[in-house]
Order: sequence, then structure tokens, then C-alpha cells
Amino acid sequence: MSKKECIAMLLAGGQGSRLGALTSNVAKPAVSFGGKFRIIDFALSNCANSGITTVGVLTQYRPYLLHSYIGTGEAWNLDERGGGVSILPPFATQTGGAWYEGTADAVTQNIGYIEQNDPEYVLILSGDQLYRMDYDDMLECHKKNNADLTIAVMPVAWEEASRFGILTAEPDGRITKFTEKPKKPDSNLASMGIYIFNADLLIETLKEDALDQTSDHDFGGNIIPKLLEDGKRLYTYEFNGFWRDVGTISSYHETSMDLLGPNPEFDIFSTTFPIMSNASTRPPAFVGKDGNIDDCLVANGCQVYGTAKHSILSTDAYVGERATVVDSVLLPGAVVKDGAQVVRAILGENSVVEENVSVGSVDTTKDTAVIGNDVVVGKGEN
Amino acid sequence: MEKVIGLITCNYSAKESSALTENRPVASLPYFGRYRLVDFALSNLVNCGIRTVGMVLPYNYRSIIDHVGSGKDWDLDRKNGGLFILPGSAFGTSRTGARFLLRDLVHNKAYFTRSTSDAVIFSTANFVYNVDLNQVYDAHKASGADITVLTKTAAEKDPDVTAFDVVDGRVQGVHHGTAFGETMFLDCFVINRQLLLDMFDWYAPTDYLDLFEAMAGDFGRVNVRAFDFDGYVAPIFNKRAYYRANMDLLDPRTTAELFTAERSIKTKTHDTPPAKFEVGSRVCNSAVASGDRIYGSVSDSILSRNVIVEAGATVRNSILMQGCVVKSGARVENAIVDRANVVPAGTELRGTPEDILVKEKAHE
Repeated sequence: MSKKECIAMLLAGGQGSRLGALTSNVAKPAVSFGGKFRIIDFALSNCANSGITTVGVLTQYRPYLLHSYIGTGEAWNLDERGGGVSILPPFATQTGGAWYEGTADAVTQNIGYIEQNDPEYVLILSGDQLYRMDYDDMLECHKKNNADLTIAVMPVAWEEASRFGILTAEPDGRITKFTEKPKKPDSNLASMGIYIFNADLLIETLKEDALDQTSDHDFGGNIIPKLLEDGKRLYTYEFNGFWRDVGTISSYHETSMDLLGPNPEFDIFSTTFPIMSNASTRPPAFVGKDGNIDDCLVANGCQVYGTAKHSILSTDAYVGERATVVDSVLLPGAVVKDGAQVVRAILGENSVVEENVSVGSVDTTKDTAVIGNDVVVGKGEN
Repeated sequence: MEKVIGLITCNYSAKESSALTENRPVASLPYFGRYRLVDFALSNLVNCGIRTVGMVLPYNYRSIIDHVGSGKDWDLDRKNGGLFILPGSAFGTSRTGARFLLRDLVHNKAYFTRSTSDAVIFSTANFVYNVDLNQVYDAHKASGADITVLTKTAAEKDPDVTAFDVVDGRVQGVHHGTAFGETMFLDCFVINRQLLLDMFDWYAPTDYLDLFEAMAGDFGRVNVRAFDFDGYVAPIFNKRAYYRANMDLLDPRTTAELFTAERSIKTKTHDTPPAKFEVGSRVCNSAVASGDRIYGSVSDSILSRNVIVEAGATVRNSILMQGCVVKSGARVENAIVDRANVVPAGTELRGTPEDILVKEKAHE
């Protein structure tokens, strides 16, 4: 893939409000995941592993941690001359400025960035999904179909199809219909929110859409239906691997637990398509004399003196003596002090569970317990 | 510290040769699961604000270059200054006892003459400690010394560590080997740059000597003062010391002291996932690096990155380096297993606490 043949626009401005306390002070793409990663690592690693070296990251909500984490893009080999990562927050012009309103609007406001790079194709990505995909393969498919727009899709269970944007396609992949959350789906191919556009068509369509007062400026809601209506060549690119949108606390917890057990579906140990991250340099994890760890991912800098079962202990997490952590996710720097009990919980970054305090419940009918970043849970507070 | 540059001599090896240092300089010996010894010298220099560091390399420099690269992990990929790779003398590695061989410094005179710094901080790569060099430099300026050496009172005999005779904080003499209670040299010192350049002229006829050996008769006119360091120190000149310095870090207090947040020890970063403690694994009193997969039993050990301990395998009192695989039913005890070794199923690699077994690096 030549350098400017295809550039990526990575939408990372979402608040992720359904992640509650986890996104109270960071943007969703910056939320820690899998022990040492942040959610945006997956999209950035996919870009790097697919040979896409020009990536615009559109940020808006609480961007500090996200910006400092992305930095120069060096951690993903994306610090390149004349390309690499560019952070694109909302900006002002002579005629004023505006927040990003909708996914399409965010890209519209950065048409200048696309024009400056002058690519043939533009890949639109979300910064809040977990999957491993070779975009180069998707681009090949796009070119082979002589498509105007290619949408990555994955088959979902029929009974769940009404939760997604569903695409109906001919056997050759040509899309005939797009329905957002259909009540009676006639297809089970869900849009993954990953698009490859011919750049000229994208720019033209976005400019038109921007003038339409009735539009919500959303790719799924407005742009795709408009292109279908205009008879453009829209094709699917079918993906059959692990893909998760960790949009809610329960899906975040569930997806985290999916990394555990023998032979998990998503192999974070793959060396051919590695997930790269801008991890801090910390010493190896330490397990104390009475430490007891079973079926856990444990990142560098952790100290475990108690028991951890079926859990994820992120960088610098701490489990004190006689403390128990079960079915839980400890985000970076989370501390579970001596004698504390943590069950089915997500502990935010640098949060503290004080000695002998209990958090969470084994009762699966109850919601997963969430402790926000930097929160200290003392006795009688939970 | 804009006015100070650093220099690390990486070309002096351990006197006692072992399989660990046969194919690599001591500077790039793996340490505590993810570090290399040179990380401490580099991080100490960088943590006090120095952004220009020269490294004098031995002939077998591959592993050092592989590790430091452009120096970016230490913030030494600078537009101005940054990392300077300097050639070392071919005699360096065989001349034991030398730390700062004059010839190595003179041959790289341009590094010092082209600098506009006031002072140079020197270090070797044979020591493990985390020191605030700002304090040392401040003391150096406050005392008006020509040279300030970093020292510590020796807790035991060590024939490989340099000792100073110190009276009222001022160095009067130097000799090889320390005894209990003597002042040991931590192979780190501050020197005014102009004095260093003068010394190149003074000592030109004896450039086969170590800088401090050459200075031996001059402690009357050169004001060398000692700065006592009271933190954790491990000199690593032989296999035993290497093993012990690793095992010392199974005490979390030592680890906490060495790996502080304010002065972090930097190293090359890798994209390895967190360690996976699989169902049925049993790990206690051990350090486990990222990328490891543990199915078996591990105690009192240090596991580097990407190590696999299969079900039914046992690892005790050992150091496993990067990429080792301990197959099902195998036992590793009191051993240092160098990188990429596969311990076959049902076999044993066993040393004794008195005589640690070293398994040399496997062919990759």
C-alpha cells in the first residue's frame, strides 16, 4: 500500500457515556483494556499492521490523556515524516468554529486534512472497538469491486440483528439496502462502522450533507442511505473474527473476561499482528509468598500478595495480603488493600479499596460494580 | 542539566568469564526480567536532566546497539546532543580492573572538545543503583572539587570493586578490591570538562592506564572528593553477584527503592501482552514479566519476557531469560537459563545454591 493511497480518519471524540464512571475523566478510546492496552490501541495497531501510515485522530471529549497517550504515534510506528498520526480536535476559522456534531460532521470539518494529504481512498474508523483487521485486504476488496464505498460487516445472531445497522447485499456483496436497527431484519450482516470511501466522492457527499439542514450528519443515518439512493456502488467486506464494541459496563466486563480461560477467541499473544501500545516502563509483576493467582492476565508493575482468580490486573495494580479479587478488572494503579474482597467489579485507574472492605457481588443478576478512577472506597461506603 | 554531558564506558567485562558474558558485554546482560544492566547508568544520567550521553562500546556491541537503538526510550533521540556511539579500544575488554581507560577517552577526545558543557558525569555499566545525580552535581559545585566520586562503604569483600582511601571526604589513594568497611567506588564520577581535557595531556604517556590509576600520584593537587550514596547498590562482576542482584529484587522494598516513580529506570519497550497465569498455575515469591505464560509451578524465581512454563513443569530459585520454554514435567532449580532455551519434557536443569548452574544462550 503506497503511502498516500489511503489515509485513515479515526473517530475518537466520543464520550462513551454508557461506560459511566470509567469515562468520567477520560475519553472512551483512552479507557484501559486488557491489562496494558487502551481501547484506541486496537485501531492504531490495525492501521500500523495494515501499512496505513497517515492517520488523523479526531478528538473532542476530555482529550488530555488521549492526546498524551497518542503522542507522536511512535508507539505504533506512526511517527513518519509527511504522515503519521495527526491529532485533529475541533478548531475555529474566520467564520467561527463548532463542536463536532455527529460522525460525518467531524470528518466534514476536517476535509482540509484529507485534501492536504490528497489520498485516493479514505478509511473511516472508530476508536472504540476491539478487533484485529487487515485494512489492506479490505482495500483490495474495495478496488476489486470498483466500489464507491465498502462497508465492513459481520454476521450476527439473527435474534440480535435488530440492535445493529443491518445491510442487505447481493451474493456478490453489492449492498441493496441499509436499515438502522430493523424490527424485522432480512439480513444478519451488521455494519461494523468501518468504511472505505473513494476520497473524491466522500468529500463531495460530505459537503452536500453539510448544507442539508435536516441531516444529523451521521455516516450510518445519512451518508450511507444517501449514496444508496444515488445508486452508488456500495459493497460489503465480510469479517469473521473477534469484534467487540465495549460500549457499556456489562460489555466491557464481559469482553475483558473473554480474554481469560484456555485458548481465548481473541489472542493477544499473536506476534504476527501484534497489538501495540504506549505502555509505561515498569518492572515485572511480583507475586508474594502467599500470592495465589489463577486464570489471570497480570501486567508489569503489579504486586499480588493475596488471591486473584479469573481477573485482569492492569499495570501497577496491587492486591494486598488476604485480599481476594475474583471475576474483576483492576485498571492501572488500582489498589485492593489487605483483607479486601472484590468480586465482579471494575476498579478504575488509581482507585483504592480500603482494608477489609468488600466491593461487588457474586449475584450475576446484579450489575457489575464499578469504582471510578481515583475513587477511594472506605468502610461503609459501598 | 544543560551544562553537563554523560559518558558510559560499556567495554569492560567481568573478570571471571561465564557463559553469560561470553557473547555479550556486561552492559547488555539482561536483569530482573526486562532490563539490561546499562539501563541503570543510562537512566541515572537521563533522570538528572542530561540529554547528551556518549557510550564507549566494545567490539561485540551488537546486543547493546540492539537495545539502545537511537536512544529514544531514554529521551536521547535529540536534535541537538542525544546519544553518541563511541568506539572503544580493542584492549579494553581484556584489561581487567580498568573502568575508564585513558586511551578510550583520548581516542574520543572530539566528544569532549566539541561540547560546551562545564562538566562530564562518567559511569560504567557494571552497577545496579538508582541515584539522584543532581545531588551529586550540586555537592560537586558546592565543594569546589575537581572531581567528585560516588562511593559507598563496603559491606563485604569484593576483589573486583575499586576502593578509595578517603580522609575527611577527600580521596588520598586508590586500589583494586574492597574489604569490609572500605570506601568502594561506584564507578560514577563528576569531573570538570576542562580538567578532563588537561588530564589527557598530563597523562598522554600512560594512556594504557585507568584514569584513576594515572591520577594515583596526584591526589595532592587534584581535589577528588567522595559523595556517599546510601541506597541499594549491587556491583556485578561475576555470576554469583549477578544471581544475587536479581534475587535481591524478590524483596519488594528493594524493588520499590530501585524502581521509583520520580526516577524511573527506562529500558527498551516491547509490545508484549500482560503475563497470563493460566488455570492451575502456581506461582509464589517470583517476578513474572510480560508475555509469559505460566501453566506450571514457579517459586523464588525471575522470569523474563515471553517465557512459557508448561503444565507439570517446576521452576525454583532460578532466572529464566527471554523466550525460554520449560516443557511439561521438566524441573529447573538453582539455575540461570539464558535466552531462547527449551528445557525438554521430563528433564532437569539443576544447580545448587552454592554453585548456580548456567545454561548458555541457545542458538536462535
